[in-house]
Amino acid sequence: MSFSSWIANWQKFHKGRAQVLSMNQRNLHFIYPNNARKHFPIADNKLLTKQILGASGVPVPETYQSYSSFFELRSLEHDLAPCHEFVIKPAQGSGGGGIVVISEKTESGWNSVSGHHYTAADLRRHIADIIFGVYSFGLSDHAIIEARVDQHIELNELSPFGLTDVRIILCHDKPVLSMLRVPTKASDGKANLHQGALGIGVDIETGCGNHAIHDGVPLSHHPDTGAALLERKLPFWDDILRISCQAAQAVPLKYLGVDLAIANDGPLILEINVRPGIEIQNANMLGMRPLLEQVRAPDQQYNTLGNSL
Amino acid sequence: MPKRRFFFLTLFSLLIAAPLGLISYKLLVLDYRMADLIPATSYHVDINMAVDGHGDDIHMRTYLPKSDPRQHVTEETQTSGDFRLDISSDPLNRIATWKAEAVKGPQSVHYSFAVQAQHVQYRIPTDLQIPKSYPPQLAHYLRAEEGVQVNDPLIDEAIDKIIPRRDVPVLELLTRMHRYLQDELKNKNFSGYTDAITAYKLGEASCNGKGRLFVAMARKMNLPARSVSGLIMKSGSKRVSHQWVEIYVNGYWVPFDTINDHFAELPANFLTLYYGDEVLFRHSRNINFQYSFQITKKLVPKSSLREHIGDSMLNIANLYQTFESIGISQNLLKIILMIPFGALVTVIFRNVIGIETFGTFLPALIASAARDTGLLWGAIGFVMVIVLTALIRRGMDWLQLLHSPKMAILLTSVVMIILGATVLSVQFGLGQLAHLSLFPIAILAITAERFAIFEAEQGLYKAARVTVATLVVIAAAYAVMESQFLQSMVLAFPELLFVLIALNMWLGKWIGMRISEFFRFRKLIWSEATK
Repeated sequence: MSFSSWIANWQKFHKGRAQVLSMNQRNLHFIYPNNARKHFPIADNKLLTKQILGASGVPVPETYQSYSSFFELRSLEHDLAPCHEFVIKPAQGSGGGGIVVISEKTESGWNSVSGHHYTAADLRRHIADIIFGVYSFGLSDHAIIEARVDQHIELNELSPFGLTDVRIILCHDKPVLSMLRVPTKASDGKANLHQGALGIGVDIETGCGNHAIHDGVPLSHHPDTGAALLERKLPFWDDILRISCQAAQAVPLKYLGVDLAIANDGPLILEINVRPGIEIQNANMLGMRPLLEQVRAPDQQYNTLGNSL
Repeated sequence: MPKRRFFFLTLFSLLIAAPLGLISYKLLVLDYRMADLIPATSYHVDINMAVDGHGDDIHMRTYLPKSDPRQHVTEETQTSGDFRLDISSDPLNRIATWKAEAVKGPQSVHYSFAVQAQHVQYRIPTDLQIPKSYPPQLAHYLRAEEGVQVNDPLIDEAIDKIIPRRDVPVLELLTRMHRYLQDELKNKNFSGYTDAITAYKLGEASCNGKGRLFVAMARKMNLPARSVSGLIMKSGSKRVSHQWVEIYVNGYWVPFDTINDHFAELPANFLTLYYGDEVLFRHSRNINFQYSFQITKKLVPKSSLREHIGDSMLNIANLYQTFESIGISQNLLKIILMIPFGALVTVIFRNVIGIETFGTFLPALIASAARDTGLLWGAIGFVMVIVLTALIRRGMDWLQLLHSPKMAILLTSVVMIILGATVLSVQFGLGQLAHLSLFPIAILAITAERFAIFEAEQGLYKAARVTVATLVVIAAAYAVMESQFLQSMVLAFPELLFVLIALNMWLGKWIGMRISEFFRFRKLIWSEATK
């Protein structure tokens, strides 16, 4: 390789590198200046998230009950008597720990989607654990009982292994990049990419899948169901964008990830995230720095030594 | 934001400029010598003595080294078991005596110390004549004694052979005697006792025979002389001590070693233990007395630097005396001062290279604890503690305990594992591992918890990968923290810690891509590059 072509390659490489948002820059230029520390609980506590979003008219799964003390658990059986399908989750859990999804009521109690049978006493013990902070790094926590989302039929065909969700990153209330996170057998029903879920980059304009990865490797069909992943327009895409923007406007966080589920009658917001990961760029095969540059507030200066963007 | 930027740049420049100014001031005005910053060789000497008791009283006696202008003895420690240790001192020597009553079974005592010595060389004026008389306190360095038969005719015969004309200057006399003993008298590897006459008659001798013949001839020629005993320090275990001589010339005791051909000089690895023609160990009979010297070589900041720092006025370093007065040694202080360097290494690995480790400061703390175990045993101990504690944590997970009590149990487990490993390693002679007790216990408990969460949520592979990454960072932090140059620098210029703060401020504003991210996004980068 000649010296000049080496230089040319280096310049190309540098140009490519300049499109990609790095972890250091995400933290310094986007999270710190846009999200005040005091507002982090809005995202970290799902109960608070739902209260704020619900009050602004953003659709969220209906909360049946929340418990924060043993005292309240005395009425548990009475509270749950009319419920057939519901989800129990810790308000401040992470990585899906402590979530139980109940799909039917039986004579002696309830059955979960994973096939476990729970009596009222079992559920009371589980909720007590959540309140005690077993799933929340030692903080005492709230347990949420909410409606189970009935996943849209198209997504169920794509992957019946768990709840597929849509992650949208918004900066200054404008959607920047989005992806669909699809559970696999290997991910055990979970939608986290590092636990083995698929990531499908979704074009913001069209709502169509444009690129997909599994453990960092591109692919075009679901490894378990064989369903085609790309060129498929997501149902309710316009609603998804509208609701995400509505959610972003409802909270004082200006750089955030919004996670939505799509039910048969429309999208619902599951949670919001103040530290959305940067792997979404690999799912889209698209660097996000130029996209962020377009939406950033004109008067915003970067919190750095040299403005190197 | 411009205000913040202005403040940042001002603080940053101050944190760089102020220490550099202070350093220049110390170097230019206070006469700090850079030569003092180059680390010196130090030896750690451990004297082991073992006996078998049969119910009788036992005493043992040996000499301990003294600090003098040539050698600096520090960090003396001892373990005596049932024995009582008494140390007495006379103007020349320091004598340690161990006594115990009705001793049964095997017993051992240890005495260890660190020593830094200098190479010395004397120049004897060529025309210096042998003095006619000396002050009375030197008289006994001229007399005959057992094994040093100054007045034996054979000594006269030897001198006649070496120096036919006796009225030569001191230098020529000593040169001829030294050359004779070094070249004509064969070196013999023999550990027994040889007196001056026997050495002359046999034409061969070990160090003590040559030494006695040298002392006898020098005294005969009216030069005060004495024998010196000590150790030639080399890493390893040894039982052989060494003897050389000192001749009183022009007011100085000048050393000569006619086994290793050191004329009026002594190398830096010679340790002086005592003066006088005595045996090194005396002890009760029938006790199967065994001894050995365990010697390890280390690089440390020069002792002259330590003294310089202590003296200097304008000096945060003057704090050192304060610390020492409350029992914090300079060695410990040095370890504490190096921890910020280890932390900087960890920051670079996390934010610039992009390696995920357990905890921000864990690698630096483990690396500083590993100073006592060595890197290998430190790493083995670390992995052992983490894995065992994570297993215990897994058991408790099944029991479903609350967080705080669970962490307390983990902490207790770490304490027990460390103590257990210490006891076992002493039993099986893995001396290094015994120092695990210096590990940061609370941080290890938290790390074990993190390891277990990683393992549960992201699989054993991920947990093992982060552990290996942590070990890599520990090794890097260890290498930096063990740097003798950096240690000397930070002892002399503790203001360098402000520069570390400045470097961390700069890294705190660094938005560049981590090296691991180039790998993570390599396909994306090329895809964007070729658009």
